[in-house]
Amino acid sequence: MFRKLVFAATVLTFIVVVVGAFVRLSDAGLGCPDWPLCYGKLTPLHAADEISRAEAEQPGGPVTMAKAWKEMFHRYIAKLLGLLIIVIAVLAWMKRRELGQSPWLATVLLGAVCLQGAFGAWTVTMMLMPLIVTGHLLGGMTVLSLLTWLSAQQLSWPVFVPGAAAAWLPRAALLALAVLAGQIALGGWVSTNYAAMGCPDLPLCQGQLVPPMDFTHGFQLLRDLGKKADGELLTLEALTAIHWAHRAGAIVVFLFLGWFGSKLLKLDALRALGVALLVLLCIQVGIGLAIVALQLPLHLAAAHNAGAALLLMALVVINFRVFSATRVVHSGPA
Amino acid sequence: MNQSLPLGQHRPGLLNRVRQFYALTKPRVVSLIVFCAVIGMLLAVPAGVALPLVPLFAATVGIALVAGAAAAINCLVEQKIDAVMARTRGRPLPLGEVNSIETLVFASIVGGIGLWLLNNWVNPLTMWLTLATFVGYAVIYTVILKPATPQNIVIGGASGAMPPVLGWSAMTDSVTPDALLLFLIIFAWTPPHFWALALYRTEEYAKAGLPMLPVTHGEKFTRLQVLLYTIIMVASTLLPFVYRMSGWIYLVSAVLLGAVFMYYAVRIFVSYSDKLARTTFRYSILYLSLLFAALLVDHYLA
Repeated sequence: MFRKLVFAATVLTFIVVVVGAFVRLSDAGLGCPDWPLCYGKLTPLHAADEISRAEAEQPGGPVTMAKAWKEMFHRYIAKLLGLLIIVIAVLAWMKRRELGQSPWLATVLLGAVCLQGAFGAWTVTMMLMPLIVTGHLLGGMTVLSLLTWLSAQQLSWPVFVPGAAAAWLPRAALLALAVLAGQIALGGWVSTNYAAMGCPDLPLCQGQLVPPMDFTHGFQLLRDLGKKADGELLTLEALTAIHWAHRAGAIVVFLFLGWFGSKLLKLDALRALGVALLVLLCIQVGIGLAIVALQLPLHLAAAHNAGAALLLMALVVINFRVFSATRVVHSGPA
Repeated sequence: MNQSLPLGQHRPGLLNRVRQFYALTKPRVVSLIVFCAVIGMLLAVPAGVALPLVPLFAATVGIALVAGAAAAINCLVEQKIDAVMARTRGRPLPLGEVNSIETLVFASIVGGIGLWLLNNWVNPLTMWLTLATFVGYAVIYTVILKPATPQNIVIGGASGAMPPVLGWSAMTDSVTPDALLLFLIIFAWTPPHFWALALYRTEEYAKAGLPMLPVTHGEKFTRLQVLLYTIIMVASTLLPFVYRMSGWIYLVSAVLLGAVFMYYAVRIFVSYSDKLARTTFRYSILYLSLLFAALLVDHYLA
């Protein structure tokens, strides 16, 4: 029961994250301008009058029936996920003897998902402020990582004894995770600042290796969407800086994860995970390049988010394997 | 990296290299996949309407390339398991004739060309469905499900059941209930097909450490599952007729072919022998080919 709930919650989290990215990318984040309900109603259907009035007042604005449904669908499945995680946390405490697992991971998970709910609310009420929206993305990725780890704990794995030659492994695995997390944060920053077209060309940016850029304003954290902190409009140089940083990050991630993955191929117990990491890495870089080449089609951008989530899950499982092996806690197949 | 293996002593010539890479794509499995996809394409276009030849050709090649890339990734993950099992010992990776990085680069190029073909010459929907099938097979099935749960081939069967859907979407740029019926048939066919094989190879799977159903839940339980899934499968093969997608020619063929499958499944359940399981496994492949052929004949004659 606990196992199945954890697996189901993990799959659902992946779906909520990708649907959330889709809502963000299709500019439907303000499809319902209040929270938690839509114009105080349970569904957009009940709020049809308010929605059509808002649409008439501001044609082409943030509110349409389709956008309201997208936003509310994301909220419904996110709430379902919240309920699931509450049940998981309760079970983890009640059955901690039978399970033989510390209930604290599930408790942290519950805290993370609550915080994530708050970020979701702020996303709407603070009018898509980039820092909040990026935080909402990273919160989602955190919940996904915690659940992936919890899922990995529920599976029985073959024994993995790394041997003395693999002393580099724990450090490299952690570093890989950190590098990926940094790149996801940069990617979120690109998306929430609408900087995906900051460099419209490949492989150079605006025909130069290092185009004119404004890092100070691009990476100023506390400001409204599209504006500098003093309310002036954000310049192209600032958007270029954001995009360029994510591109430079991609090279670092590709080289480092590529090296790390190919090292894993030589360890029997981690080969499959290494292959998964490398395959997902290739797909993800391919999608990233295609986004620029094809001028940001929505489906590619959503797939780029899904790819990031899958890469993260792969790295979390690799870290789980590496750290449960060195501490020899989860040894022996069931 | 595996230079010291005894079988790799002759320096591979160019032709030999090509042959090794070709073997990595599991041509026989890929041809069955392409066969199912092409039938999906033909069924999607009403009889009498001219077939759009360019997308048809591009989709066939594109799906074949992505399927080949998926097979190569599968070889890469399972080289250790392949080295243990008699059936797969002769594959290029266990022999050390190609190395891991070469395989990955090869798969990226082949798969990338396939996806590009599908995106530019067919439609983006087919490209995405094919990519999802690739990830489903090469990552989710091969890496996660197969070593983790006896339900591996049931869930992973979803990837195997996708080809007719891919063919369908290549022609119509949509996924309709007709296409999903074809999906359902292959999805329900996979467990009896695979477990018939697993029943007479239980020891090999146990040796390779894979939790196939007969290894984890015993032979008797597996035999019951073969029978139950065969009933579900036969029932789902009737749906194309019920849905008015196919006519009497198909119905009669499906009933006759299904009756033979049921006969084997019942015998597997009541009086099992390895020989019988082997026959059933062989018949299951013939069954699927003939069933899809019947769909096709019905489509053009009825």
